[in-house]
Amino acid sequence: MTPTDGRIFGSPLKRKEDPRLLRGRGKYVSDIKLHGLLHAAVVRSPLPHAAIRGIDADPCLADPRCVAVLTAADFDEIPQLVCIDAEVTTLPFLQPALARDKVRYVGEPVAVVVAQDRYDAEDLLTLVEVDYDPLPAVVDPERALEADASIVHHETNLVDTLRYHTGDAAGTITNAPHVLRERFETQRYAGTPMETRGVIATWEDRSGAITMYSSTQVPNGVKTNLQIALDLPENGVRVVAPDLGGGFGVKLQIYPEEILLCRIAQKIKRPVKWIEDRWEHFVASTHGREQFHDVEVGYDDEGRILAIRDDCVTNTGAYLQSLTLVEPFIGVTMLTGPYRVEHFDATAKVVMTNKTPMNPFRGVGHVQAAFTMERIIDLVAADLGLDPVEVRLRNMITPDELPLNRKFGNVLAGTIVYDSGDYPTCLRRAAELAGHADFAAQREQARAEGRYIGMGFGCFVEETGLGPYESGTVRVEPSGKVVVLTGACSSGQGHATTLAQIAADELSVDMDDVQVLHGDTDLVRFGVGTYASRTAAVGGAAVRVAAGKAKERAAFIAGQLLEVDPVDLELRGGAFSVAGSPAASVSLAEVAAAVAPGSPLPEGVHDYGLEATDVFHPKTNTFAYGVHVATVEVDIETGVVKHLRHVVVNDSGRVINPLILEGQVQGGVALGVGGALLEEILYDDDGQPRNPNFMDYLVPGIENVSPEILVEHMEIPTPLNPDGIKGGGEGGAVGAPAAIANAVADAIRPARITATPLFPARVHEAISAAGLGATVEGSAR
Amino acid sequence: MSTHTIRLTVNGHEHVAEVPARLTLADFLRERLDLTATHLGCEHGVCGACTILLDGETARSCITLAAQADGSEIVTLEGVAGDGEELHPVQQAFWDRHGMQCGFCTPGIILSTIELLDEHPQPTREQIDEALGGHLCRCTGYVKIVEAVQEAAQAMSRTRP
Repeated sequence: MTPTDGRIFGSPLKRKEDPRLLRGRGKYVSDIKLHGLLHAAVVRSPLPHAAIRGIDADPCLADPRCVAVLTAADFDEIPQLVCIDAEVTTLPFLQPALARDKVRYVGEPVAVVVAQDRYDAEDLLTLVEVDYDPLPAVVDPERALEADASIVHHETNLVDTLRYHTGDAAGTITNAPHVLRERFETQRYAGTPMETRGVIATWEDRSGAITMYSSTQVPNGVKTNLQIALDLPENGVRVVAPDLGGGFGVKLQIYPEEILLCRIAQKIKRPVKWIEDRWEHFVASTHGREQFHDVEVGYDDEGRILAIRDDCVTNTGAYLQSLTLVEPFIGVTMLTGPYRVEHFDATAKVVMTNKTPMNPFRGVGHVQAAFTMERIIDLVAADLGLDPVEVRLRNMITPDELPLNRKFGNVLAGTIVYDSGDYPTCLRRAAELAGHADFAAQREQARAEGRYIGMGFGCFVEETGLGPYESGTVRVEPSGKVVVLTGACSSGQGHATTLAQIAADELSVDMDDVQVLHGDTDLVRFGVGTYASRTAAVGGAAVRVAAGKAKERAAFIAGQLLEVDPVDLELRGGAFSVAGSPAASVSLAEVAAAVAPGSPLPEGVHDYGLEATDVFHPKTNTFAYGVHVATVEVDIETGVVKHLRHVVVNDSGRVINPLILEGQVQGGVALGVGGALLEEILYDDDGQPRNPNFMDYLVPGIENVSPEILVEHMEIPTPLNPDGIKGGGEGGAVGAPAAIANAVADAIRPARITATPLFPARVHEAISAAGLGATVEGSAR
Repeated sequence: MSTHTIRLTVNGHEHVAEVPARLTLADFLRERLDLTATHLGCEHGVCGACTILLDGETARSCITLAAQADGSEIVTLEGVAGDGEELHPVQQAFWDRHGMQCGFCTPGIILSTIELLDEHPQPTREQIDEALGGHLCRCTGYVKIVEAVQEAAQAMSRTRP
């Protein structure tokens, strides 16, 4: 698998994990069977808001098929889910693992039923009698802030108001030559990985500990949270994340079912399994995005944006989860993206309602920020009759301004400092690849023929390479094989390949000789996990440094074996030799064998084994960026949008594997197509979910996504990690909705586009309001 | 609940089993035969991850009852390649063109592609869209899936007499 030119880092290598998966030998959590395995099903609240008067499990327990029922009565104190940024003021909004007195959203766990098989467990759900006293539900976050609104928790639905500002936005807007006031809305949607969540918990008598298999992106974090929730010692629980069928952020926290199944295993000392079904996934796994921005923008005659005020409201649902506060603060702190806005003042309100809780998913906050900012730019350009690319360039931060301190921070980054890049070049290149220069003429000609085509831009800067740390261990076995351990477990991105490329590059060994292991807290002592485009930048850095340490130790040992100074040694093709005299050579395998236990150590060497670990702590975040250009056609009669072509120029820093990164970006674009055009988790006014299934919630299919998604990489390294990597897992999802919405607005200008998703009915309404096309009455969706 | 005796062939092996009427074919394959390549992504017949070949035609095993498969011949992803190291040309093309990421939807897509290329050895883009229109993939954006299907068609036409 090593390419013929010998270059491993930076080559589009095929993935090491694929042959196994292609043969159907993947091991996802639902594929795991244990002896004596029982099956659980979860009793969930059918109501969005209700007091619980009582729970009677006796009828269920009386059924011979029932093995156990777990309710709030099984806990002296019900463990709560963790919120990482929680302060004293936010603690009352945390979620109990099981509802005791009150339910606050449809799908909230109330009890767990255990039976011999899942079919029986599902039958038994109706035998757990829960006496609910319904309360009025609140679903709209702005309604939730009104004085007479139903209160989800106590006293107020306003969890927090975050404020970020620099300069004098209010004064500047008052004196600005032009002012835009607009409201931009991003809907609630979700990552919906093809594999739902799932848990198996088993009590191991031998170790006196629980082993939990879970489809999670963060096994080490879940382990720590389980210890706290169940008051277990550190060695009292082992978490294994097997193959994951996608994560997208939906699996980056501890969930109630993980705590509950471990509690059952603890109680009945038998293995028990729960696999989430798709309905459960829509109500019981976290959502994201629902956020509204009311902005005031002051700009001058040349289209320079002088100041922005933003009043932002985020509907975080019924409880705070691990990172719920990220959506609000990224949504405002990253609003200005690649643009130089001197005066900025934003408040972000975090609001509770009776919907499923929100937590970050792919592109958290950045999606809404880019949608809002990029629509602003296009509206400014349209108002002044200027080219939207020109307006962008006039406002863009130039390379000589970097690194740039944005003068306000957020919880993740501390103060935001853009590290490196060239935003204008990125935009110019994307415009060129998209054929922007000729497009206006094509659009006008198409219009003359009755076709409505449009081109839209979506520029973004994204906080990537998030800390606090990631671990990497690199071990050279006496066979010459290299084992890499990482805390950044894969949810399908290809870490077994990309992290192997880094180790193989550092140790000059063949890719086939490197094996990457992850997803087991017994194997990896310190680990954080995979989210926030962090694996390559942080996990990769740990592997690079660990491999470097192993190499340094190997060189010292080789020097002892060859009786030469290690500085004179070169490592090539998996062997050390003296520069200029290749005859004197010792392979990595021989070096590892020389320090294997069972024989005396070489002189000057004091420890057995050839292994090194690094726990890499990035000083601060990196900032990846990119420009998306979407081309669409709008059916003027129906409002249906066709995604014709998509160009992405992206700077994720140095690229480990361009094939894998291209796949990440293209997949992100498809998720963005869903967010721009198709996906919304709908609730009725009473708080009942309206579309919790794949018939009514539309994940993009093959016909919805452009067959042509052109991706080009700029590779301007960041100084913040050894390989100069910024991260690329999310950018595809961040820029696409903005670009597509702008393209739709361009196609049907001057129609007003201020919200996603651009369902046909919404587009048709905008077309009609603008007096375009035929006057067919739109029907409400 | 009634039980039924079923007799069927899966990946060339004959099986006789007693199944409850409500047992889905997907659960029969996964739980009774340990053929876990057949994945369940939605259990309501939309996502396509559970697609198998039933008497040579693609079928959704999550909305097919095991009892309905009595007398049939089934191929799951496990039965696509031989026992050796070599992959089926469709599997090979998905590897070569990075037509997969998490691999969860892949089994169904491979089987639908095999059916497509059986009917249309050189499929048009429209035929590919139609054949794979019943599969959801959340990772790839489909671009590389289409490339993989086209490459598989090329590879298979080269080996055809």
